[in-house]
Amino acid sequence: MTLLESAFNRSFRTLLGREILRFVRVWTQTLIPPLLTSLLYVVVFGVALGGRIREVDGIPYLQYILPGVALMSLVTGAYMNTSTSVFDAKRERYIDDILISPMSDAQIALAYTLGGTLRGLIVGVGVFVVGMPFAGASVANPLLLLLIAVTVAFTFSALGAVVGVVAARIDHVTFMTNVVIQPLAFLGGVFYSADMLPPALRIATLFNPIFYMVDAARYATLRASYMNPYPTLAIVAALAALAFAGAWWAMNRGPNLRY
Amino acid sequence: MIREDGPALKVEGLKKTYGNGLVALSGVSLEVGAGRFFGLLGPNGAGKTTLINSIVSLARPDGGDVKVFGKDAFAEYKEARRMVGVSPQEVNLDKFLTVEESLLYHAGYYGVEKKKAKERAEELLERFALIDKRKARTSTLSGGMKRRVMFARALVHDPKILFLDEPTAGVDVELRYRLWEYIRELNRGGMTILLTTHYLEEAEELCEEIALINGGTIAAQGTKDDLKEEYEARNVEEVYLRVVGHDVA
Repeated sequence: MTLLESAFNRSFRTLLGREILRFVRVWTQTLIPPLLTSLLYVVVFGVALGGRIREVDGIPYLQYILPGVALMSLVTGAYMNTSTSVFDAKRERYIDDILISPMSDAQIALAYTLGGTLRGLIVGVGVFVVGMPFAGASVANPLLLLLIAVTVAFTFSALGAVVGVVAARIDHVTFMTNVVIQPLAFLGGVFYSADMLPPALRIATLFNPIFYMVDAARYATLRASYMNPYPTLAIVAALAALAFAGAWWAMNRGPNLRY
Repeated sequence: MIREDGPALKVEGLKKTYGNGLVALSGVSLEVGAGRFFGLLGPNGAGKTTLINSIVSLARPDGGDVKVFGKDAFAEYKEARRMVGVSPQEVNLDKFLTVEESLLYHAGYYGVEKKKAKERAEELLERFALIDKRKARTSTLSGGMKRRVMFARALVHDPKILFLDEPTAGVDVELRYRLWEYIRELNRGGMTILLTTHYLEEAEELCEEIALINGGTIAAQGTKDDLKEEYEARNVEEVYLRVVGHDVA
């Protein structure tokens, strides 16, 4: 058996299948609300306010915000999926059935992470596709956009696994969403260009990881970006690797998982 | 009865201290022969569940060795865990799955081929009278049914050794007798059973060999008859009371 076959063996595929089954089974909570919320952003910011803002960096406003809005849903969807799935499984201890199985901790971390990645992608791509006719946008580099979307969803899904393991109460999970991820997403240059900010805020923006992700997605869609896109892509990939290392650690050494 | 060579389970010097300083296991050594029906008894907090959890890596022991049919439980965990089935003390069924899915997904986690898993699940659903409930979500089941699903789940990957942690806790008398009968049948078929229980009559009824754990160490171990003789006791309950320090007058 090759290394690849053994890493993606039946045990791994079963857990990944379970993760997909979970979010599909509760699709009214996992797939529809984020799609709806994002479309409201498109309508309110794009259609209603877009008439006043018209263009940013020479790009029609709705086109300018669409990659970021889709990425915001993708980030939240991926994070929420894994954090709640892992937290629920830990709280009700059915994760024990997985932890005592012959799967390695890396396989467990990867299966959970890929489950959330897929949900993030479904929601993100859904928002993008539905928003495209309104924005009249086309994608300059679809393959690059997909690569960025997968990497970003993977990063936040892995982060969700860490939080799901570490969180002692469900409000720790929602705290991360409401107090960390949502504000970072809003301040990540989704609705404006960093050029429009005063110098101090512009520098602060550079410490926001979501800013790089939005900027990279905008580059792949519109060939317009604030930063040089290649170092940005390297940062996004490094964050994904870091987040997965965290998820692996969480399954192996995380508190309240293996006593 | 089929008896294999070598012990099914060999635990040597197992130590575990929790983060809060509680010493749960202080150098536990234990050997369970293949095909035996082994009872692990002890008061609450004696270390029974910690011992089982340490064997299956749910607890991380600080030291010691565990071998399952000769396979190191840590270095060769994949092989070792495949041979172990666990029915835990607390109900821990996946609420997103139906009864049938609980068995099939568990079999998948253990790498059991799909066709074989389906056949085995069918057999166990039948055996535990769960056929009518196969499409029901586990969260909608009664306590006794949940217990039966957990039991079936522990068996669906055909383990060679079965850990039953208080399997009849909160179960009505009728189901308890049926579960006893089924466990006996599994043991007669060659499966090694490690049972922890509070019900001393359960140990008396089922187990050939018993270990009494108290304060994180094995306080006594032997066949039922040897222990009764050693402690001049009429039954397991008296042995238990003498070992854990509450002598019966």
